[in-house]
Order: sequence, then C-alpha cells, then structure tokens
Amino acid sequence: MVTETQNKQAVMNAVEAAIKEHGTSREELIPILNDINRKIGYLPQEALEEVSRRLRLAKSQVFAVTTFYRMLSTKPRGRHVIQFCESAPCHVVGGREVWETLQDILKISEDETTPDGKWSLVTTSCLGICGVGPVIVIDDDIYGNVTPEQIPDILARYS
Amino acid sequence: MITLKINGKTYRTQEGKTVLEIANDEGIIIPTLCYHKDLTPYGGCRLCVVDVKGALRPTTACTLPAEDGMDIQTDTAEIIESRKTVLKLLLSTYYDAGYAANDSRENELIYWSNYYGLDVPSLSAGTPRYAVDSDPNPFVWVDLNKCILCNRCIRACAEIQGRFVWGLSKRGYETHISAGADGTMLEARCESCGACVAYCPTGALDNKMSVGLGTPDKIVTTTCTYCGVGCTIDLNIKDNRIIRVTSNPNGAVNGMHLCVKGRYGFDFVHHKDRLTDPMVREYLLKGSERPAKSDRGNWVKVSWDTALCIVSEKLIQTRDTYGADSIGILTSAKCTNEENYLMNKFARQVIGTNNVDHCARLCHSSTVAGLATVFGSGAMSNTMDDIVKFASSIFIIGSNTTEQHPVFGTRIRQAVLKRNVKLVVADPRKIDITEFAVLHLQHHPGTDIALLNGLMNIILEKGWENKTFIQERTEGFEEFRQNISQYDPITVSEITGVPRELLYEAAEIFAQNHPMAAIWAMGITQHTVGVQNVMTLANLQMLLGNMGVPGGGVNPLRGQNNVQGACDMGGLPNFYPGYQLVTNPEAQKKFEEAWGVPLSSKVGMTVTEMMPAAAEKKIRALYILGENPVMTDPDTNHVRHALEELEFLVLQEIFPSETSQYADVLLPGVSFAEKDGTFTNTERRVQRVRQAIETTINARQDWQITRDLANLILAQGSRKPANAKFAKWEYTHPSEIMDEVNALAPIYGGVTYQRLDRGEQLHWPVPTPDHPGTPILHVNKFSRGLGKFTATHHIPPAELPDHEYPMLLTTGRVLYHWHGGEMTRRSKGLMEIYSKSLIEMNPEDAAHIGINGKRRVRVSSRRGSTEAEVWITDRVPPGVLHANFHFPETATNELTIAALDPIAKIPEYKVCAVRVELIE
Repeated sequence: MVTETQNKQAVMNAVEAAIKEHGTSREELIPILNDINRKIGYLPQEALEEVSRRLRLAKSQVFAVTTFYRMLSTKPRGRHVIQFCESAPCHVVGGREVWETLQDILKISEDETTPDGKWSLVTTSCLGICGVGPVIVIDDDIYGNVTPEQIPDILARYS
Repeated sequence: MITLKINGKTYRTQEGKTVLEIANDEGIIIPTLCYHKDLTPYGGCRLCVVDVKGALRPTTACTLPAEDGMDIQTDTAEIIESRKTVLKLLLSTYYDAGYAANDSRENELIYWSNYYGLDVPSLSAGTPRYAVDSDPNPFVWVDLNKCILCNRCIRACAEIQGRFVWGLSKRGYETHISAGADGTMLEARCESCGACVAYCPTGALDNKMSVGLGTPDKIVTTTCTYCGVGCTIDLNIKDNRIIRVTSNPNGAVNGMHLCVKGRYGFDFVHHKDRLTDPMVREYLLKGSERPAKSDRGNWVKVSWDTALCIVSEKLIQTRDTYGADSIGILTSAKCTNEENYLMNKFARQVIGTNNVDHCARLCHSSTVAGLATVFGSGAMSNTMDDIVKFASSIFIIGSNTTEQHPVFGTRIRQAVLKRNVKLVVADPRKIDITEFAVLHLQHHPGTDIALLNGLMNIILEKGWENKTFIQERTEGFEEFRQNISQYDPITVSEITGVPRELLYEAAEIFAQNHPMAAIWAMGITQHTVGVQNVMTLANLQMLLGNMGVPGGGVNPLRGQNNVQGACDMGGLPNFYPGYQLVTNPEAQKKFEEAWGVPLSSKVGMTVTEMMPAAAEKKIRALYILGENPVMTDPDTNHVRHALEELEFLVLQEIFPSETSQYADVLLPGVSFAEKDGTFTNTERRVQRVRQAIETTINARQDWQITRDLANLILAQGSRKPANAKFAKWEYTHPSEIMDEVNALAPIYGGVTYQRLDRGEQLHWPVPTPDHPGTPILHVNKFSRGLGKFTATHHIPPAELPDHEYPMLLTTGRVLYHWHGGEMTRRSKGLMEIYSKSLIEMNPEDAAHIGINGKRRVRVSSRRGSTEAEVWITDRVPPGVLHANFHFPETATNELTIAALDPIAKIPEYKVCAVRVELIE
C-alpha cells in the first residue's frame, strides 16, 4: 500500500516537474512525455491522465502520441532499453542476425522485458547512421557495425 | 471567379473551393473514402488522386485548392491504376465476418472496389486480426477488421461531437483506432451519440442495436420526439418496426448529427408496456360507488365507444353539477401542434373553461411571462444556427446545454473550438460545458439576479453600455440604473460567492466581444423569482445592445420537443392560440365567432394551481394528455393527495405511469412515430412529424381521441355551438387542423403543410402564405415598441438550508434520460448506461457524513424523503446536492417545494433544504 502510494506520488512528481519545465501548451506534449518516460521508465496510465488533464487534451490524443513514438512506452521497461534499428539499410548488412542473437541471449522478443527487470528489447525506425549499420542503441549509447559475436561483450558493460 | 479545366472541359467557379468540391458540384465522379463534406479534408486514403498538369505526381483532390488556370485529369489509366492499388491494399487488411450490417448504407470500400472491377472476396484478408464487436458500448458496434483507417470517426468525434474519444494508436501495420488510452469507449468519456457510426464508410463502427436487422422497407423523415432542439431523423422501418434511426444529411437543425437519445432511444415505441386498449375502473361499469382515496379498483379493458361514453358522461355531469371551471385540462408538450390546438379548443369551446395548461408551466412560464412583459413576445429571439455562426461571446446561465439540448451543446463546443467564441458559463455546478468555457462563474443557487445586476453594475461603471441602443429602443433606463447602483461588486461577491475579479472579467468579455448571445433554461426559470431572473437577463441584453442582431438575443432553450408549440397553440390558461389574451375582448369575440360559443374571459388555472384546487375540491375532474404529474410536479405527496381528492381523472397516455394509478379512465394514444403533424422547436421553427408505422394495438391518434370526445360531449351536453366557421369537429387529417390554426393564429398564418413538405424553414411569426418567416425577433423594433428596463431585486429562495435541513438540493436531468423517464426507462441501451438515480455530492460532504464504501443515502426534506445512491464528485460545491427526477425509486419531487413565482406560478425546483443520512 505504502509503495503504491509512493509510486503514485513519484509519477505525479514527474508530471509536475515536466510541466514546470515545459509549460502546458499542447506543443510541449512530446518533451513532457519524454521527461516523464525517462524519470519513471515508462508512462503509466495515471501519468497520461494527469498530462491530458493539465494540457487540456483528450486522452485519445495523448495516447496516440505515446504509442506512435518508440522512445515512449506505456508498459514498464527494464533498467536498460535496447533499441534495434529495423530499417532496410541495417537489415541488409546483417541486422537480422544481430536481432536474432539479441533475442536468443536475452530470451525475450520484441517489446518484452527480462524477468529480472534488467533488459527491454524494442525495435526502432532508422536512426540516421546507416553508414555504420547494423546499429543498436542501449540507453543513450550508440553501437555501430555490430556483429552477433560482439553482443555478449556489449551487454556485459551494463549492470 | 476562376477558370480551370477538368478532363478537357472548362469550368468557371467561385474561388476558395477544392478540386474535389468543384468536381462534385459538376457531377464529375472522383472516388473518395476518407473524405466527407462535413469534416476537415485529410488526404489520407489517396483514392481521390488526380493529375494536375505540371505537377510531379498525382495529388489528392480533396486537399487541393482549385486555382485559376489549372488543367486536371481525373481518369487517366495511371490514375485508375493508382486507385486500384490503393483499394487492393485496403482490402488486404479488410476482413468481413459475414454478419448483415452497415447501417443500411452502402459500404463505400466495397462500392468503389466493385466500381473498379476488383474481386473483393479474393482480395480481402483471410483471417480476422481483431475481435468482432470489441467494445461493450450498448449502442456502438466496433469491428476493427473492417476499419480502413480513414479517420472519419476521429474527425467526427472531434469536429462534430467535440468529445475526442477516438484516436489512432501504434504505428505501421499495427495502427488502429482506439478509444481514449486504448480502453472502452465509455471510459474515454464517449457520449454514445453515434456520430462516428454515421460517418464510418465501411461499417467498422455500426449501430449495435441494429446489426443483423438488414435493410429497411422504407425510410421516413420526421422530427425527434425528445428535446426542443428538433433534430431531423430518418426512421428506418422494416415489417412495421423501427429497426434503426439514421442521420438525414439535410437535417435543417442538426445536419448529420444526433444525440444518444435521438439516435438510440427509440425502442420505447415497441415496448411491451404500451397501453393497448382503453381501460376503465370496474366501478364505472357496475354503476357502483367509487372506491375511496387512492384505490380505484380493478381495471377493465373496454371498447373505445364505452370508454369515450363514460368520459363524456362524467365530464358533462361534472360541468352540470359544479360548473365548467371545475374541470381542468392538461395538454401535452410531447404531442403535436394540431393535438394541442384541439385540447385548447376542447377546454374553451367544448367544456367552456380556460383551465388549460401544460408542463411549460413547470419549465419556461417565467420566460414567457418575463419576456412578454419587457419585449412583447416570450420566445427565443435568435436561432441556434445564428448563435453558433455569429455570436462573438456566449453566456450560458442555468442551462446544462450539452446534456439537455445535446446537439446544440455540441454546436456550441464547435463554435468555441473553431471560431474561438468566448464562452462564459454561470452555474452552481461544474457542468460539462464548463470545460469549454473561458470562465465559469460558480454562483450560489438562487443568486442569479445579484450576479447579473453585479455584471451590469460593472458595465455601467466602465461605461460599456450601448448608449445608442438604450436611447433609441428602450424605456425605464433611469429607474433601472438607480437600482443597479446597489449591486456593487463587493456586495454581489458576498451574495453570490463569485470572486470580484471574475465578475470584472466576465463583464469585460461581454463588453469586448459583441454580440453576446444569452442562453438559459431551468436554472433561471425554476425559482420563485423566475420572472425577475428573466427580466434581468433581458436588461443585460438591452444594456449591451444585443437585441435584434445576429449572434445575440435572449435564448431560452425550450425543453420538450413541442413545448413551444403547445404554448403557441393556446395550451395556456391566459392565451388563445397565437398569444391572444383571453382577457382581451377583441380576441374573445374573434374566437366566439369562430367557434360559435360564448367564451370565458376569466384567466384559467395553471397546473400548479389546479393541484391545490383539486385538494380543495375546486377542481373536480381532470383530463390529462401525456403528462405524469406524480413524477414531475413538485411536492409529490401533495400531488398524490390532490389526485386522490379528484372525482374523475381521465388520462391519455402511451404507457402506464405513476399518475395512472389515480386515473379512472385510461385512453391509449400513440407515439410520435405513429402520427402526422407538426412540432415547433425551441427557435420557433415549425417542422413536420410524419407517420412511419401503423399502430398495431387498439390505440388511437391523440387528435382523433380528442375529436371524438368533443363530438360526444357537444352532442350530449347542453353547450351547443351556433353555426360558425370552426364550430365543428370534422377533422379527417391533422392538416385540416392546421388550416384552422392558420386562420385563427396570425403568427401561424402562413405555416402550411405544403410549404413545410417543400422543405421551407419557417420560424414564426409567419403571418401570410408568402411570408418567409422570422428567424430573428425584435429587429429594429420590439414587439411591444420599446424594450422595457425593469428594476429587479435579489430575493433569497423560499427555503434555504438551516440547522435541521442543512444541505441545499437542486434538481435537473442527465444526458441519458428524459423527464419522468417514461420513455427512456423503457430503452434498453439507455438503461444499460444509466440504470439508477445518482445524487451528486461533493467529496467534502461525503467525508463529513462518513460515506465509506456504502453509497446509499436517505435524503429528506420537510415534505418527504427518498433514497438514492451517491456519486461523489466535485461537479457540485460543498453544501449542494444535485438529484435528477427520472426514476420513481428515487422520487426527487417528494423533496421539492411547491413555492411558486407569484406571476408565472412556476415552482422553485432548483432550491430546497434537505438532510442526508447514510443507510446502514
């Protein structure tokens, strides 16, 4: 019960901080959602509801934006989020093998989180660095020219 | 003007249109799916692509503004190929589960696929991706397998209803429409208006009640039976039953739009509870003594002849024994103009009394009295369309517009969203429309005069009044101004509870956003100072010069579908049809000559006077048409007592009601779907009602019942009309009744069925057959000449909370129900959404009385008590409760007070003192 209240308080604090930073105009919706997502790790229902109330936007509109962008999530994510570029340039230079290896090692598939809460795996559209494909991004770190063999070493850098 | 070529042919046309609009005007076929003329062009489906000479690639015609010199090809081989590709791609994710559906309209995707020769079955998806019927909403069927992501539902919800329920979620192949945060429609605050269904091109959204019922045998265009907005609806009839209601794109008031009751609340028409046969109490057949008090004995089904004979004998006997004024007639704002005219004629000509009234007494009698005094006419001055198009600011006071006049409410929402109209709402409750307001003045119930006088004090202080208008068109200004000086902002803020700065803000909004349209309803009228409230609003509109101009005016929203008409037709104790006073000797002479009988010059009794008079045995018999006073009149205990004291009560109804328990004779009438006639909506627009189904039970047209009864009484009674033009009752069709109205009520002089059936839109006054009608009243001159300023004074409500009854109860209605609930409680879907009465209570009060999980309470006043469930909400401020009167289990009018406005005799439904206890 206490944790639930605390969690809810944390969500409300995150919304408050984001709105304090960006204001309540609807143009600021994405930065606000992004801030909350970074702080809480995802966008819980209460956060979406509070944002829609504060920005005077319909829930459907807030939800549409939230589910359109891969950087935002409506489900809890792991401590580290791996984004895999699924666009064609990465795909043709060995992206599929990297993707399969990631799933094999972590034993999860797209949009899932490991049971220990450490890893989440998501796909993303082109990140604009096609020259060094295949590309994965872990949290804020970008890895280019990734091969399946490198993946265990890359993952080992995160605790 | 611009000139452009389409398919080699030259067209000259107005600027500001899109290529698609021009093509549609010229009959050039360009296929569309995501486009709808009522919605913002979206250019999403790519089906309407055309070739523009000089452009790199095909362009969507729906989003392409036409320009001078354009050269366009709409049907090249490449364009056709492109359209086929689009259709194939749409079909590849389209899955039809095979049920008979789609709102009886053509599925537009299938239509265009066939048009381009595509084989739909082989191109469609083989398996469903989504559950069929995936939302629990009782009215809207959701089958995303048929969705082509055209966004029409999203735009309809945003741009028509203003509710924003639908959105797109996810992206790419996973993109789908979703309600709110991918929840249910109702969780996303859906109001079940069905606009998304009406605009869906494929039946992905459909009318749940009608899925599988197939195509209708016929479609009958008529006028909705619920509220005073008067929406045009299409009744889809199959095997003599209404299988669905659909939008008629030519709806004069509403276009394609409808509300949940109008679109889905029609199943009451076929309900098993309908009164099927005339019934009389057993004692009347046996000739025995009438059982005492509330027990009137057993009902016996009888023939129409028997029932009507008994009624005529009893009414003649009552008149012969106690005089004509011992009989009261209640006509019905749910019935047609023609039927109301007959009820007025029945009372005055056949019985010989002016004791005729109806429920307008309980809703807008104070408006009629107030406005008639100061302007000379008691009706809404502007039209709804005029307000949403031309008002710069709108002031809603005491009207829960989005719930009670839903289609007009949504148009106000759109005026705010699209035209940035400044909306100010004054209401003790945080009603839904406050979400769209720039300012909500949450004043204490019963302090409207103080609030309005306070605003006018500021307007005068700042010199914002319209001096020319005041000088040229009004009188009584000096006395008015002196009175206003007492209502300084400090005093007003104390009385109303509205902070001073908000008063200044509101006054400034009205002064700087001219014209302002003032809109009100029961929150203004249902007070012991109802008439004064109305006059105060009239003062405000004269002070600002908002009368007689487009986008301004005094706009009381009439409640019932035909309450305006029932008043117009003389269903009032002081007026003949067309507001000709019974006390005016000329009018009296006119009707005496028309009807061939001497008429009473004495003003008759109002509804609210008839009930106490019955208790005092001054009224001995009542003939009630389509009203349920036990549910809807104030102080139910007293009403019951009054009805018990009556010697004879005849009730003409479609359902057994709480009142029928007290009746001696029940005459089954018919619903709006079974009759012809006219209704007059809130803005004085007279509209046709058309019979769509045959009555299969032994019920009769209401006008026929009144006609037959009149003929019996005239034949058997002593009051015989002389030979006069309209002495007889030989009507064979409602249009003949309207002919009589044309001749006798000058404001309806030119309102004929021929004109209405031609589609003419007539707002009375329409004095002659070639008069175009009068959409805006009081242009250049008030009906009475000069507009009259009145000094009005704040007087507190008759009963305020005290130590014993510490809370203030205010009453009203909800979106999903109608009045006493006789119709809506018999609509399955409406009951699914709103099945029991909820009393609104502020969280502070809920905590104070210790509501904790248990939500049932007993609410008591000095007059009675009732039980209900509490809805804890900040819609109401602390100390105030709100209850609706739709449910007999929570009979709110057991609590209300029959304190009356001294002029209009309207009861103060909006304020009484109550006590609340938790039921353990």
